[in-house]
Amino acid sequence: MTPGPKLVSILRQGPYLIASVHTALDDTQMTRFQEDLIEQIGRHRSRGVIIDVAALDVLDSFATRTLRTIGEIARLRGARTIIVGIQPEVAFAIVSLGMSTGSLETALDLEEGLTYLDGPTWREPDRARAAR
Amino acid sequence: MRSGNEPDSPAQPDITSLIPLVRRVVGARVHEATVAEDLVQETLTRVLATAPRVEPGLLESYAIVTARNVVSSLWREQDRHRRNQHRVVDLRPPDPPDTDLLASEEQGAVTRALAQLSERERHLLLAHEVNGRDTRSLAGEQGSTAGAVAAQLNRIRARLRVEYLLALDNAEPPTDRCRPVLLALSGGDRRRQREVDAGRHLLECELCARLSSPLLERGRQGRDDEVCIPIHSDGDIVAARQAARELAARLGFSRTDLTLIATAVSEVARNIVRFAEAGEVVVELLERPRPGVRVVARDTGPGIADVEQAMRDGYSTYHGLGLGLPGARRLMDEFAVASELGRGTTVTMTKWRRR
Amino acid sequence: MSYDQDLMETASGTRTSSGGRSAGSGTGPGSDEDELLPQLVAHLREHRTKLRQEWAERIQSSGLLHAMTPQEMTAETTSVYDNYVEVLETGSVEALQRYARDLSERIIPRGVETHEVVGIVLLLRDVLARSLFEKYQRDFGMLNRVLDAYEPAANRIANTVAVSFVDERERVIRQQQDSIRELSTPVLPVRERLLILPIIGVLDSERARQLTEQLLTGIRTHRAKVVVIDITGVPDVDEAVADHLVRTVDASRLMGASVIITGLSPEIAQTLVTIGVDLSKMDTIGDLQGGLEEAERLLGFSVTRGDGVSGP
Ligand SMILES: [Zn+2]
Repeated sequence: MTPGPKLVSILRQGPYLIASVHTALDDTQMTRFQEDLIEQIGRHRSRGVIIDVAALDVLDSFATRTLRTIGEIARLRGARTIIVGIQPEVAFAIVSLGMSTGSLETALDLEEGLTYLDGPTWREPDRARAAR
Repeated sequence: MRSGNEPDSPAQPDITSLIPLVRRVVGARVHEATVAEDLVQETLTRVLATAPRVEPGLLESYAIVTARNVVSSLWREQDRHRRNQHRVVDLRPPDPPDTDLLASEEQGAVTRALAQLSERERHLLLAHEVNGRDTRSLAGEQGSTAGAVAAQLNRIRARLRVEYLLALDNAEPPTDRCRPVLLALSGGDRRRQREVDAGRHLLECELCARLSSPLLERGRQGRDDEVCIPIHSDGDIVAARQAARELAARLGFSRTDLTLIATAVSEVARNIVRFAEAGEVVVELLERPRPGVRVVARDTGPGIADVEQAMRDGYSTYHGLGLGLPGARRLMDEFAVASELGRGTTVTMTKWRRR
Repeated sequence: MSYDQDLMETASGTRTSSGGRSAGSGTGPGSDEDELLPQLVAHLREHRTKLRQEWAERIQSSGLLHAMTPQEMTAETTSVYDNYVEVLETGSVEALQRYARDLSERIIPRGVETHEVVGIVLLLRDVLARSLFEKYQRDFGMLNRVLDAYEPAANRIANTVAVSFVDERERVIRQQQDSIRELSTPVLPVRERLLILPIIGVLDSERARQLTEQLLTGIRTHRAKVVVIDITGVPDVDEAVADHLVRTVDASRLMGASVIITGLSPEIAQTLVTIGVDLSKMDTIGDLQGGLEEAERLLGFSVTRGDGVSGP
C-alpha cells in the first residue's frame, strides 16, 4: 500500500485473524485489502476472521459488497467472518441503500466478535417460526 | 427596499435598520438627492449580497465602508469624466496599451503574492491548481486526509487572494492587525471575523476598508458554501464524500443524515469513475426554500441509454454493481437524472434538513 | 491612517437610537423624533379608515395572510393598526414588546409564517410612509425630518415584531416537541444486554426517525444483544413508516443485535407485506411476554445473522 499512515492492520491471534480498518479506503485499497486478507486466511489456515470497521463513517455499496465477498470466500476456505463495530448511522445507511446483507455475520465489537467465534456455531433461527 | 413588495425581507431584518445609517453616510458626502438615493440603493444591494459571508456584528461597519467606497468610486468616475471632457470628439475608451499594462501588472501581483506563501503552501497549491493533482493523492503524500488537504487549500487560496490584492495595490499593511482581518474576510470565516474584531478595524483602516469589497464580493468561485470536487479516480470518490459531509455538517444535519448524504455522494461519484472516467461533484448548501444540501454529479461520459432502466434495482452494466443510482435515490429526498447519449450524465440530488 | 470622525459618530448614533428610547428622555439624539412624532400620530389617527383599508388591500394583493377570512382580516388589521400607532405615540419599549408578543400569540395558531408577519408590518410601514410623503411633499425639509423621525421608529417596530414572533414560534415548537417526546418511547434496558422498546401511539415519520436514532445508539451504549420492539400500542402505520421500521430492524442486526417484534396487528402486518417485507424473515412473536421469554432464550447463545433486507 502507499507509504504514510497504515490503512489496515491484520493481526494473527491463535486460530483467528483480526483485521482493523483504520481509515477510509478507496475502491482499489478495499480490493487490495480483500486480497491480502484472503491470502493470509489461506496461509495461516485461520478458522475465524474478525473485521473491525468501527473507524469507518461510510460503508457504501462497494465496501459492503467487498465485505460480503470476503465472508463468502473465507467460508469456502473454512473460516467464519464476523464484521464488528458498524456504527449506528452507518448501519442505517447500509440498509437504506437497499444492500442485501445476506450472509454477513455481525457483532457489536471486537470482544463480542471473539465470544461468537469461541461459542457454538450458528444455527438458523428456528424458534420464531415455532413460537408463532 | 422601501417599496416593501418583498415579504421575505425578514431574513435580513437588520438590513432595513441599516437604511438610515447608509443614508446619513452618503448624505454627508453627496448632496444631490437622486444621486444619493441611487448610491444608497447600490450600497444596500452590495451589503445584502455579502451578508451571509460576514458575521452579523460586522454588518454595520461593512455598510459604512461600502457606502464610503461607493461614493469615492463615483468621485473617481466624475473625475475621469472631467479629465476626458476635452476629447468629446473621441469617446473611444482610452488606449489599448493600458490593457497590456494592466495584464502585466496583474501578472506581477500574482508572482509577488505567490512569493509570500511558504514553500510548502506554494507546492501544494500549484500541484493542485496547475498540475491537477487530486486532494486524495496529495493527502497520501502528506500523510493526511483528503478533507484536511481540501481545507488547507481553501486557507491557502484565501491567503493568496489577500496577498494578491495587497501586491496589486502596492501596499504594505499599516498595522499588524490588517493581515488577520483581511484573512478572516477572505475566508468568509465568521467566527474569526468576530475574534479579530474585523468590524472595528474596517472603520479605522483605510486600506482594509478598500480591500474588503473585492474580498467579500467575489463571485461564485471560491464561495464557502459550495465545493467542487473533480472526479477522475477511486480516491476522488472518498474525497467527494468527505467534502460533502464536512460542508453539510455546517448546516446542522443529524449524524444519520450526514452519513446518508456521504453514502449517496459515494455512489454517484463511483458511477462517474466507472462509466465516464471524468467528471465532477458539486456540493452546495441551500438556504431556500429551506436549509438543505444539493449535490450535482456531472460527467462527460457516454450517457445512459435508458435512464428508467438504470434506476431499477438490480440493473447493472458493470461487474457486481447495480445499486449506484437507485441506492442513492433512496438515501436522498429529491433525485433527478438527465442523460444524453454521447454527451454525458448529470445527477442532481437534494436532502433537506429536518427541523 | 484615515479615520472618519463623522462616520464613527454616525455609527454610534445609530446604535443609540436603535437601542434607545427605553429611557424615555426627551433630550439627546431623539429630540427631533419626540417633537415630530405627535404630529405624525395625529395624522395617522385622522386618516385611520383610509390607511387601514389601503394596507389591507396591499396585504391581499401581496398574497399574505391568505389563511384568514375577510372578517378576520378586518378585525386583525384594525387592532394591529391601532396598536401600531399607539406604540409610535408612546415609544415605550414595554408597550412595543407587549404589542409584538400579543400579535405573535394571536397569529401563530392560525398558521401564519414569519415572513408573513414581518411582511405585513413592513407593508404598514410603507403605506404610512407614503401617506406622510403625500402630506409633506411640498415642504422638502420638513419631509426629510418627518421621515427621519418616522423611519427609525417604524424599523424598531418591525424588528421587535420579527424577533418576538420568532421567539414565540420557537417556544410553541419546543412545547410541541416536548409533548411529543413525553409521548414517545424510552429505550428500556430490562436486564443486561436486553432492551425493550414499547411503542405507543401514532407513529409518523418524524417520530419513527427519532426512534431509530434512540434505538441504534441505545444498542451501542447498552451493548445490547437482543431488542424486543413491542408495537401492540400502535394502531396503524403508513408504508413509509413501515419501511422505516424494517430498516431499523435490519440496521440493528448489522450492529450485532437480534430483534424480536411483538404485538404486530393484522393491519400493520398487511402494510409490511404490501411494501414487500418477507414476514417469515422477521422474528415476530404474539405478545410481549412471549417475546421476553424468547429474548432470554436467545441470550443463552447467539450470533446474529443479517437476514436479507426487503430488496434484492
Ligand atoms: Zn488594516
